[in-house]
Amino acid sequence: MRVDERHSIRVTVNGDAFERSIEPRMLLSDFLRHELELTGTHVGCEHGVCGACTVLLNGQSVRSCLVFAVQTDGEEITTVEGLTPGIGVGGGAGDEPELHPLQAAFRDAHALQCGFCTPGVLLSLIPFLEENPHPNERDIREALSGNLCRCTGYQNIVDAVKLAAERIHR
Amino acid sequence: MEIESEFVFDGPRDTVWRLLHDPAVLAKALPGTRRFERTSEDQYEGEMEVSVGPVTAASFSVKIELTDKVSSERFTMLVDGRGNAGFTKGAARVQLLDHELDRTLMRYRAELQVGGRIAAVGQRLLDSVGKSMTRQGLEAINHHLQGREPPRRALIPRPAALALGAILLLLLLLAVLL
Amino acid sequence: MSVRHFGKPVVRNEDRRLLTGEALFVDDVHLDGMLHAAFLRSDHAHARVLEIDVSGARAHEGVAAVFTAEDLGDYWQPGPLLVSPPPIERLEFHQATQVPLARDKIRHVGEPIAVVVARTRYEAEDAVALIDVDLEPLDAVVDVEGALVENAPRIHEHLSSNLAAHVIQEKGDYQAVRDRATLLLSRRFLYDRGVSASMETRGVVADWSAKSGELTVWDTTQAPIPIRNGLAGMLGLSESQVRVIAPFVGGGFGPKIMMFYPEEVLIPWIAMRLGQPVKWIEDRQESFFATTQERGQVHDAEIALDENGRILGVHDVFLHDTGAYDPYGLTVPINSQCTLLGPYRVPNYYSEFRVVFTNKPIVSPVRGAGRQHGVFVMERLLDLAARELGMDCSEIRRRNYLSPDDFPHDHEIIYQDFAPLVYDSGDYLPALDKAAAMIGYDTFITDEQPRLRAEGRHVGVGIVSYVEGTGIGPYEGARVSVERNGRVHVATGVGTQGQGHFTSFAQIVAEQLGVEVEDVEVVTGDTGKFHWGTGTFASRGAVVAGNACRAAAAAVRGKVLKLAAQLLDVAEGDLELTGGAVRLMTDPARTLSFGALAIQANPLRGAVKPGMEPGLEATAYFGPERGSTASGVHAMILEVDPETAMVEIRRYVVVHDCGKVINPTIVEGQILGGVAHGIGNAFYEQLAFDANGQLLNASFMDYLVPTATEVPRVESDHVETPSPFNPLGIKGVGEAGAIPTGALFAQALEDALDLPGLEIVEIPLSPNRLFELIREAGTSSGGKRSRDNVE
Repeated sequence: MRVDERHSIRVTVNGDAFERSIEPRMLLSDFLRHELELTGTHVGCEHGVCGACTVLLNGQSVRSCLVFAVQTDGEEITTVEGLTPGIGVGGGAGDEPELHPLQAAFRDAHALQCGFCTPGVLLSLIPFLEENPHPNERDIREALSGNLCRCTGYQNIVDAVKLAAERIHR
Repeated sequence: MEIESEFVFDGPRDTVWRLLHDPAVLAKALPGTRRFERTSEDQYEGEMEVSVGPVTAASFSVKIELTDKVSSERFTMLVDGRGNAGFTKGAARVQLLDHELDRTLMRYRAELQVGGRIAAVGQRLLDSVGKSMTRQGLEAINHHLQGREPPRRALIPRPAALALGAILLLLLLLAVLL
Repeated sequence: MSVRHFGKPVVRNEDRRLLTGEALFVDDVHLDGMLHAAFLRSDHAHARVLEIDVSGARAHEGVAAVFTAEDLGDYWQPGPLLVSPPPIERLEFHQATQVPLARDKIRHVGEPIAVVVARTRYEAEDAVALIDVDLEPLDAVVDVEGALVENAPRIHEHLSSNLAAHVIQEKGDYQAVRDRATLLLSRRFLYDRGVSASMETRGVVADWSAKSGELTVWDTTQAPIPIRNGLAGMLGLSESQVRVIAPFVGGGFGPKIMMFYPEEVLIPWIAMRLGQPVKWIEDRQESFFATTQERGQVHDAEIALDENGRILGVHDVFLHDTGAYDPYGLTVPINSQCTLLGPYRVPNYYSEFRVVFTNKPIVSPVRGAGRQHGVFVMERLLDLAARELGMDCSEIRRRNYLSPDDFPHDHEIIYQDFAPLVYDSGDYLPALDKAAAMIGYDTFITDEQPRLRAEGRHVGVGIVSYVEGTGIGPYEGARVSVERNGRVHVATGVGTQGQGHFTSFAQIVAEQLGVEVEDVEVVTGDTGKFHWGTGTFASRGAVVAGNACRAAAAAVRGKVLKLAAQLLDVAEGDLELTGGAVRLMTDPARTLSFGALAIQANPLRGAVKPGMEPGLEATAYFGPERGSTASGVHAMILEVDPETAMVEIRRYVVVHDCGKVINPTIVEGQILGGVAHGIGNAFYEQLAFDANGQLLNASFMDYLVPTATEVPRVESDHVETPSPFNPLGIKGVGEAGAIPTGALFAQALEDALDLPGLEIVEIPLSPNRLFELIREAGTSSGGKRSRDNVE
């Protein structure tokens, strides 16, 4: 495959269909951020360790810096923007979309500081919570171990996951 | 870094010696060789390019000088390789000894200074993959010796440093092969 | 009395934006026609630049420009000295600051040589690969001690050696007390390098508008105002023509301070020259070379004690590795020198250090900023002395603490802020008692540990103290205004990198004005909104800018009262501020909303009377004469497997004192994050350089930032000794968690392993290194230590 060839891909991101012509070497992370301007997906290491760029590909967590955009042709992607449909539209107080229960728990448990790693953490943990509705601390820490966070020391993230699990299944 | 090992060729010393100094044979043993030639009696120059999947080809150039040569017995090779992924500089000593059943035992010891991206993120590849690929290269020459074509091996992409790893291997191969 | 906001665990105002992906980080800035920059960096640590051929890169598709040092003309200048040396007698300092692009010489791996600007980052990187550079490698200076030997390769030609600085600070007469000491104990201590590893790397976007004559720069800096002022000077512009915005910044931890990094200086210049916006975002691998790092130090220290374990004096001579350049002056080694004294009474102190240049990336403050080195040395000396004296580790600390009557306490040496090292307030014993009680220190030693040892398990406890000089000057400012919609707007100059300033400053202002915290909108780090101040570093944001916010809000409160009193024709003293309105205390029906007042304060007709100002707005500044000294105690119980050297932290307790707490949730968050960072420093993170100055682990695959499975649950509590040096009584907390962790690990590991020959005098450790130390100490665990000999 030559780098200067362009490929046309169709993807569904957060429910919207997009069609773009891109270089085959373009990473999914760059595609989302720079082609679609969905900048909520953050890039922390470009080598698949930090997890900041995690998105859902057909419902599964993947690191978008380890996936070429062309590989997602025809697939469905969810980014952090997709967790609160309607975000960024309009403005002003009162009409803000409701947060996903995990997002709300993050706010209430102070599970974020600089917030750079947060979108990736959310998208790693949402499928985890779906598969493990009543996780214990050890499970949560295991699930979280693929995401690096330098600010929080992880403890409040663990607590936020517990809080979200309680609220969802109350 | 240092590499020290040995390898047994299925042929006599003088034949091995000849193969080890034949650029055409070496080029075959080195994947991605774009150009490899003898520029004078004891000097070689080459250019390599590696492309893994859609990852842009990374290229580097290499200069090699042989010294301390005793025909069919030993030589020392000074390697100077540089490219956009890093550099290597160093010396490798190669010794050929008669081995049972008309075979040849090659002992090699390379001391290499490696720098740039190769050193920074390829460190873990240096030892394990480097050594095994060196062996694959030597086996390719051995196949040649046995009159067979070397088997084609696919490079299996690793999570990171794809092209990088490959370049590194080439440098190592060069260091011990020539 | 209105609702109290100060001291409450309020949820953060900024979280919604961060959680939904709406928050703007520098790499999210997208401008029409924006070009992308990539840098060619040196593969060698020390080399002469012979030739650079950029013709191939210039010809590459999509490339707009390629620049080398030669192309910069007069703009090529060594960077500024950011912090000049403090006024210490006999101080020797040799300045050598970084350059935008290497011209004649390379001094560390990763030093930039050329920059390519292209339509996309992909194309820019393709073109970087086409640049031919001919370097003549030179022998590298890697080892700190090797840097000063005769005939060591010289890194800076204009200097006569690799010595960057030599500083002696002295108090009392150490030599005199040495002669009458019961115990003299000396050791060599090593503390090696790490990186800050903020999850967001650095980045700069610059946009020059020739029409308006304005330059806008988005920069991941902790100090946008100094960057604006410096850039204006370099680019020949007025400060008012330059706007620097530090939007949401993904972690700072020190290296994003006002460094005037090569990229920070070049990208704006290129944007002006090309007349197009330019973006550069550091990749993770670049970050390992191009962003400043933590500090290597080697200490030769001695402590003199009397028969009761009281400190008579400390003597410390150390080497500090500043890397290839020293733009940040002496802040880090002076922090080490000063913080070594800790919470203790040290009547005699001799401290001498030499700063050396090496062919490694530049050293500047990283969370803790050298304080942990001083703490490590002092705490280790006390532990080893306690062992010699057959005394418990907590007891020797107890005996040496300054008492509450000793404050303010003058240590008679100069601190990094140029002021004498004077502690404002503190009460250390209650913190120690509290931490010991929380972790069950006494029963662990008397019951639990013997029982576990009998089962063949290696479990140990550690307890250490530290202080942290925080909240230093010179000043910060804030502007508070009541808007026509009744909301309150606060603008301050410090940047914010996750510390929760949008909330803690809002709490301070809300408290003054009687509004809800979510009705206070805080803007930080945009010089277009506020352009006086320095930045967020040295655990100073909340202390200095927080007090400025308080002062500005108090002034607005005065204006609100004055205007409302006029309009209602009552005395100011009869009014109260609550629920975003002013009302008469005796008749709550008579009320004026802030929105109505704001409109009245900015009339369209009539005249604003002399001496009055329009609007409900005030700007105020706060400059503490001195920093405030925070303190704390950390304790841990850990288990180690001597066969594998794997360590599991079973309990971790922090008791801290940062004076008055604005928001306990945020403070605890700072502590938890600091501890995780400290655990990384102590046991997982270490930069590995080879003898040629090559960094061998420049990725998160090989440089191990702790994950959720390595960081334990931390139990924290606090004690409160308000600072008398600022009206809010607060002290900084940003770095505290990371400072004592190395010392704590060492003490707990020694206790757990209980090997007579085992002394931990180096940080960071790793399972590998610990395994070696265990092996060296021998496998016999016969000589039982005297931990249970509590006096």
